[in-house]
Amino acid sequence: MSTASPLPLSTVTRSGPGYWLASLGSMTRFEMGRARQWAALMVVIQILMGAGIAVMYGFFYPRVTHLTALYLTTGTPALALIPIGFVLVPDSVSQEKLAGTFDFTWSLPAPRSAQAAATFLLFTTLSLPGAVLALAVASWRYGVRLDISPLIVPGTVLCALMAISVGFGMALAISNPLLINLITNALMFVVLLFSPIVIPPGHFPGWLLTADRALPFYNMAEVIRAGLCTGLVTDLTRSYLILAAWTAAGWAMTAWVVGRRK
Amino acid sequence: MTELAGLLPPVSLRRGLSYWLGSYRALTRWHLAGLRMWLMLLTVVQVMTGAGFVLGFALFFDHIPASAALFVSTGVPVINLVVVGLVLGPQLVAQQKLQQSYDFVRALPVPQSAAAVAWYTVCLLAGLPAVAASLLIAEARYGIAFTVSPAIVPAVLLTAFTGTMLGYGLGHAVPNPMVTTLVTELMIFAVFGFAPVVYPPWQLPSWLATLNWWFPFGHMAVIVRAGLTSGMVTGIASSYVTVTAWGIIGVAVSAWALVRRG
Repeated sequence: MSTASPLPLSTVTRSGPGYWLASLGSMTRFEMGRARQWAALMVVIQILMGAGIAVMYGFFYPRVTHLTALYLTTGTPALALIPIGFVLVPDSVSQEKLAGTFDFTWSLPAPRSAQAAATFLLFTTLSLPGAVLALAVASWRYGVRLDISPLIVPGTVLCALMAISVGFGMALAISNPLLINLITNALMFVVLLFSPIVIPPGHFPGWLLTADRALPFYNMAEVIRAGLCTGLVTDLTRSYLILAAWTAAGWAMTAWVVGRRK
Repeated sequence: MTELAGLLPPVSLRRGLSYWLGSYRALTRWHLAGLRMWLMLLTVVQVMTGAGFVLGFALFFDHIPASAALFVSTGVPVINLVVVGLVLGPQLVAQQKLQQSYDFVRALPVPQSAAAVAWYTVCLLAGLPAVAASLLIAEARYGIAFTVSPAIVPAVLLTAFTGTMLGYGLGHAVPNPMVTTLVTELMIFAVFGFAPVVYPPWQLPSWLATLNWWFPFGHMAVIVRAGLTSGMVTGIASSYVTVTAWGIIGVAVSAWALVRRG
């Protein structure tokens, strides 16, 4: 009378690049399933925030000159990407924390780095159509002819990735949802009024421009503008480097929180 | 037999002027106590947004034209006046509906008119410090000498009244809190950018200027501007009529929503 042998434990190795990539694939599918609820709303927000603000700012001028129109139009994609990374992502993370979804996701048998990478991948991809649409609306409104170069592709992708990485890292590193809300609102205020995104940087006093050069927002606008027209952007390398540094900072914050135990 | 008197319900009359005034005082205290910590933060945020907008507007221009400076300086106080009643008010009611405290507040033994006037008082109190701050900062930054006339008093009272009542009607009449939040967010966007409040109406496309003629926000700016400057605006009487009409609409919608049985 032999007793039943204990059920065998899974013998799949949960490590190695193969397992990581498989986890990335399944986590992306998992996130995509959840994104179905709000992906359409996201595009609407982007059109409102990007094109809506570009159109609205046009009303502020007694006369919109060609240069003003060029700045307004070429700043629009950055305006459409910023609220996704700096508002929507932190908000959804703090909501998930409150609802407990976050702990559930972390308990899944997938490397947390693959989970974070899946989030970055998905949000970056989803934020691009809205940015393009917002640009289309703005360029139609102001009748600006754009001079599109291949630079636009790496520029826009880096901007989207940077915004999402910093927003995600910030939301992970700060545990109080109220504080996150306060920061995102303050950031939007800085973005909408005190960053030269749709305004020529020449209008800004020196000290403010120096601050903006270190922050990501102005550099996002510069990197995207360089791909849409010629002659307005100088010092593009510097902007790329600063954006890369912010992306790395977002990843570092994410890695720090994801790697430690609660 | 005389012991029964203690068991009978109180026989004080729940009507008449003194009962109304007592209810008004009690509810004003109720609102102030409910907002206590909030009210300070709210005032600070209001002052900062007002100041930020007055200062930030100059960055749109190489050298800000005197007329643009005057328009923004006299337009921002309007936003300070209406934002609490129009945006925060409905969101608070929406929150009460979500937390299920709404029915309790509705069931308080006070006249609905006293409740509405108490809320109006609180909104006015929350807006006035920011109005003063915005005007002082505008004076310092742009060197504008306002010619304040007694007409500012009815203008401020009426603007805050219409803004508050529209928000009050919206909060109470719309059953779904999500819809309320969405509408208020869109409204602040519209008041800031798509209504001639911080800039003159002739900077809008003519169809949008015509559309705005039917809405109260541009007219609020006209009447407040008339109290702060001389010779800048015309058609003040029709603006008063339009703002009053919208105030009455707000009162009517609120009355309908509050009087019907749920």
